[in-house]
Amino acid sequence: MNNLPGTISSIETHGNLTLVKIDISNISFTSIVIETPDTVDYLKIGRGINVMFKETEVIIGKGKAQISLQNRIPTRIIAIKKGQLLSQITLQYNDHSLSSIITSNAVDQLELTPGTEVIAMVKTNEVMLSE
Amino acid sequence: MIEIKISKLLQGAEGTFSLDIDECIPPGQIITLYGSSGAGKTSLLRIIAGLINPDIGHIKVNEQTWFDKTQGINLKPGKRSIGMVFQDYALFPNMTVRKNLIYACDTSRDPELVDRLIEVVELKQLENRRPNTLSGGQQQRVALARALAGRPKLLLLDEPLSALDAEMRKKLQDYILAVHRQFDLTTILVSHDAGEIFKLSDRVIHLEDGKVVNNNTAVEMFSQRHLSGKFQFIGEVLEIATEDVVSVIAVLIDNHLVKIIVDEQTAAGLSLGDRVLVASKAFNPVIKKI
Repeated sequence: MNNLPGTISSIETHGNLTLVKIDISNISFTSIVIETPDTVDYLKIGRGINVMFKETEVIIGKGKAQISLQNRIPTRIIAIKKGQLLSQITLQYNDHSLSSIITSNAVDQLELTPGTEVIAMVKTNEVMLSE
Repeated sequence: MIEIKISKLLQGAEGTFSLDIDECIPPGQIITLYGSSGAGKTSLLRIIAGLINPDIGHIKVNEQTWFDKTQGINLKPGKRSIGMVFQDYALFPNMTVRKNLIYACDTSRDPELVDRLIEVVELKQLENRRPNTLSGGQQQRVALARALAGRPKLLLLDEPLSALDAEMRKKLQDYILAVHRQFDLTTILVSHDAGEIFKLSDRVIHLEDGKVVNNNTAVEMFSQRHLSGKFQFIGEVLEIATEDVVSVIAVLIDNHLVKIIVDEQTAAGLSLGDRVLVASKAFNPVIKKI
């Protein structure tokens, strides 16, 4: 599980759903949760929070392509562990390290190697929040 | 309503400590006492049962005073409306299952109770057997039935299932739920098993060093409620299969076997039998009408 510490910067509630924006070292991350500031006390602007998402939900992008995903982290690949079908890619952003598991075919196709600069992306509905 | 407000100095592994309880238990609930060994859980059960006397305080069950130090009231264990089951079954070895139950029943007042107990815990096939010819789980079923033979209001269970294997434990948990409902009991259970606590308890009282440190529902106590994922279950790791750079973790959640993919680092921190929280966002699962 990837776990990045951040600070809540904005909260937009509609019905039972809340779109939460979190600042993680100068990048903005978005999560959608079935909670509201009335149901949990951690939904407060300025509150420290951990952003969690699974390795298998981290999409890797290289170069420039238009894409809908809002959660984008500019990273550098520091290690690739290649398996028969799947590969684990270790990425670094500032002092944070995160991990992505994608198919080994995708690693070959994008010609990913340690040192390559890539964008790590996560869908808003895959991001969990934890105190 | 069961009202327990007592203090008792107890001898612990690291010297004396005071067991201080001030709790009200609504009728009809299953309450689990949870905590480290030596926290005072079994002592509390024994105090409720009248096997140990508190130093001060009172115990009232449905407005009847069982113990009151200042008024000098102290009902003998036999006068308190309780049934108890411990880890060991303590059945009479020279009597059949049925006779063990008859012995404990007031059959003149309640002639049908033995048959009803045999039916609820499904002992019909075994009623003429002696305890030493039964498995551990079967013996514990007899002990459970026998604990109810006096028509207690309060059922006290002190780790009754901890000597049984996982499969048998699950069955016995179902029997405990069945008798709890059918006999309108209030049940106090001592257990360490998070899955069991989840399945059985309305509330959990967490004791440490004789003090209540938390009193909450099992979900609030054991799940990371501050994790926003709405799909959260507690399960037991049954199998860890490493495939490529990921591992497939088979987790038993209640009676369902589910599989979860994790990375190597997560897998390295897991062992067979571990209790785990399985969580996902509510957005991921799909629903299909069957």
